[in-house]
Amino acid sequence: MIDSAESLESLMARYQQADEGAASALVGRVTPLLRRYFLLQASNRTHADDLLQDTWMRLHRARHTYRPYEPLLPWVLAIARYASLDNYRKASRRESHERQVDVLPDPPNPVTGPADSPDIDTLLSALPQRQREVIVMLKISGMSIDEVARATSSSPGSVKQKAHRAYQKLREILSAKESTK
Amino acid sequence: MTPDEIGRLMAQAAHRAFTDGEAGDRAAAARAEAAILHDLRPVRPLAPDSLYTLILVLLCAAAAVDAASVLGMAGLRALSPAQCVLVFSALLAGACLAAVACTRAMRPASGKNLGPLAWILAPSLLAAVVALAFEGYGTGGLVNEGVPCLKAGLCLALPTGLAISLLLRRGFILNRSAAGLAAGALAGIAGVAMLELHCPNLKAIHVMVWHVGVVIASGGIGFFLGLASRSRLVAR
Repeated sequence: MIDSAESLESLMARYQQADEGAASALVGRVTPLLRRYFLLQASNRTHADDLLQDTWMRLHRARHTYRPYEPLLPWVLAIARYASLDNYRKASRRESHERQVDVLPDPPNPVTGPADSPDIDTLLSALPQRQREVIVMLKISGMSIDEVARATSSSPGSVKQKAHRAYQKLREILSAKESTK
Repeated sequence: MTPDEIGRLMAQAAHRAFTDGEAGDRAAAARAEAAILHDLRPVRPLAPDSLYTLILVLLCAAAAVDAASVLGMAGLRALSPAQCVLVFSALLAGACLAAVACTRAMRPASGKNLGPLAWILAPSLLAAVVALAFEGYGTGGLVNEGVPCLKAGLCLALPTGLAISLLLRRGFILNRSAAGLAAGALAGIAGVAMLELHCPNLKAIHVMVWHVGVVIASGGIGFFLGLASRSRLVAR
C-alpha cells in the first residue's frame, strides 16, 4: 500500500528491497522532475526522453549505492547530470564526424509564452552550463543549496556563487526586456 | 528584482514551456517503469564510507609490508625514529586522503570532490616532509640509483591499483577520471611506503624524485586509465 504522502526517501528504501509498488510510485514522482531537468538543458532538448530512460536504467543499476534516508534528490540528480554529460559528449563526437551541409534546416519553433513575458529558453540560454544547471535545480526542481551542492559534488559556497552570478545575468536580461517595452 | 521573484518568473516560464504536461510525464514514467520492473531484485545498500576507507588504507599497508618483507627491510633499519614518525605519518595522512577520495567516487552525491589544488598540494607536502626529514642533494648517481626504485614502486602500485579498482566496482562510479586518479594515488602511496621500508638510500633528492615520483606517476596512470574507460563508455 503506497501512501501518497510517503517520502521519496522511504519509497527508495523500499525500492531497494524490491517492492514493486514503491518502485512504481517512485518512478511516477521522480520522472516529472527529471523530465523538466532534461528539457531545460538546452543542448539536450530533443533527447530529453531518451536521456530520461537512460537515467532510469542508471538509477536502477546504482540503487545499492543510495544510503537509506539520506536526501534522495541530490543522489538522483548527480546520476542524471552525468547521463546528460555523457550524452553531450557522445553527441559532440557524433557531430564532429557528420558531413557539413550548405543550407541549414529551419530550427523548430521555440516554445514561447505571452508576448510580454520572457520564455524559459531565452532566460536559460543566456547562462553558462554550470550556472544553468544550478538555477534549474534550485528554482525548477526546488532543491536547497546543500542538496544542489551534493548533486554537483561541489561546496555550498560554490553553488551560492554560481546562483548569484546567474541571478545577476537574469536580472540584466529581465530589466533589458522591461526597458524595451 | 529579488532571487525569489526571478525564481517565480522562471517557474512560470517553465510551466508554459512544458506543453505536453502531465500526459508526457505519465508516458515517460510508464516507459521507465516497464524498463526497470522486469529486473527488480532486492539489493543490499553499500557499506558505510568509513568502512571502505579503512579497508582501502589497510589494503595499501598490507601490500607495502608484504612486498617489503619479501625484498628486505633495509630502509626501515636505516631510518632514525624521528624520520620514521615523520615519513610514515605523512604517508598515512596521504593514504587516508586518497582513500576518502576513492570512497566518495564510489557513491553518487557523497560529497565534494577533491579539487585540483588538493591533488597538487598533497605530493608537494609529501616532498616538503622528505626535505625536512632527510639531507643530501648531490646529484651523483641520481638516475642510476633512482630508476630501480621507481620501477619497484610502480611494480607494486599496479597490482595494488587493480585490487583497489575491483573494490571500487562495488559502487557506481560517475567520474571515472577522478576515481582513477584517487585509486592511482593510493596505490602509489603503497609503492612509496614499500620503498621507505626497503630502500636504504636516504638522500633527500633521491627520495623526493624517485620515491614521491611513484605517487605522481601512478596517479597519472590511474587518471588516464579512468579517462580512457570513460571515453570507451561514451563511444558505446
